[in-house]
Amino acid sequence: MLINVLSYTCIGIGVLFWFWGTFALTSPRSVLFKLHPLSVSDTLGSISIIVGLLLKIPREWPLLILAILSLAIWNTMLGYVLAYCSSSGEYHDG
Amino acid sequence: MMDSYIYVMVALLPLTASMVIFQANPYHALVARGILGAIAAMVYAILGAPDVALTEALVGTMLAVMLYAIAVRSSLVMRLGVLKAAQSLPEDGNAPQPSQADSSQLDILTSQFRQILDKHHMRLELIPYADAQTLRQALIEREVHTICLDRSHTALDLHSTANHHSDSASNPPYQTLTRIQRLYEILNEEIQSPLTSLNYVEVPEATPSLTNDQPVSEEVPL
Amino acid sequence: MLNVALIAMILALLIPIYEASRNQDIWQKMLALSSIASKTSILVLVISVLRDDWMIGVAAVIILSVGNAGLMLLAQTLKRMNDVVKE
Repeated sequence: MLINVLSYTCIGIGVLFWFWGTFALTSPRSVLFKLHPLSVSDTLGSISIIVGLLLKIPREWPLLILAILSLAIWNTMLGYVLAYCSSSGEYHDG
Repeated sequence: MMDSYIYVMVALLPLTASMVIFQANPYHALVARGILGAIAAMVYAILGAPDVALTEALVGTMLAVMLYAIAVRSSLVMRLGVLKAAQSLPEDGNAPQPSQADSSQLDILTSQFRQILDKHHMRLELIPYADAQTLRQALIEREVHTICLDRSHTALDLHSTANHHSDSASNPPYQTLTRIQRLYEILNEEIQSPLTSLNYVEVPEATPSLTNDQPVSEEVPL
Repeated sequence: MLNVALIAMILALLIPIYEASRNQDIWQKMLALSSIASKTSILVLVISVLRDDWMIGVAAVIILSVGNAGLMLLAQTLKRMNDVVKE
């Protein structure tokens, strides 16, 4: 029962993170200002949701651990690549 | 069995598809296609077809979008042959030395071309040539789509098939020749620069080919 | 209970879709696309746990890792395109 509550708490925190990051996306600011909250909240929220699922069904742990790993690695790298590409594009503007 | 969230997710599919359709800019449409691919993979997966979802993600989203990006990038381009700046070829002594004003005029002209082409989501690629002769040869051999000639060079030997539209009273310092009918239409419609006249040149060749890098064997005097 | 979380996640997914259709800057669209790509695969993962279906989960994880890689390639291509235009 405790584990059930814990897993729903994790999923709820993850969904809250998602909402926070995507509401930052709607603000009329530059790409780099949006990129930071978006990548942080997407990665942390997704990891939190997956941890919640992992507590719920520990039988599928290799799959979920793989999902967490690929999220943590790829999303940080993607955030870096997007920041690099967009900022160098703006550099050519000026 | 059919839960309510499935209806919501499937409704996202026509939404994003209409986003792709109503996108005029090809690059934005590519990004919208990526969004459609992600949504479609999700819908296929939750409707119980993980193999179709994998194929959509790998082929439909990744491979197709990459191929289209490269195709759009290499096809929506106008290659403009220009004369190289005179300081890079000091042996060309008899040619009139282009001053600083000349090169800035050419800059203004290319930026105007760029603005016109931007409306049609095309980009401009400048290809420098050493002198006017190789520039014309490049146009004939289909290396470039358009060339931009100095008036002082063209006054010498312009016996081309170009049909003049500009009146000879106002003498613009540059002459732009293009061999693509559609480019001529676009540029002729929108350019109002006093810097250049615009002519369409029929490049004589038997087989009209779409590829640009095809070598032309016979030498055609322009 | 998990259904409620799922509906909330779909609502969170709607925001970047709206943003991508509204914003005309290509990098904002790419940002929305990256957000959508990770959100959809997490959604599929949640549904796979909800239904206790192993196959869907495997597909979701593969889409998650490969889709991000494809996104990076697309970003690089778009950046090269911008470089040629702007220089």
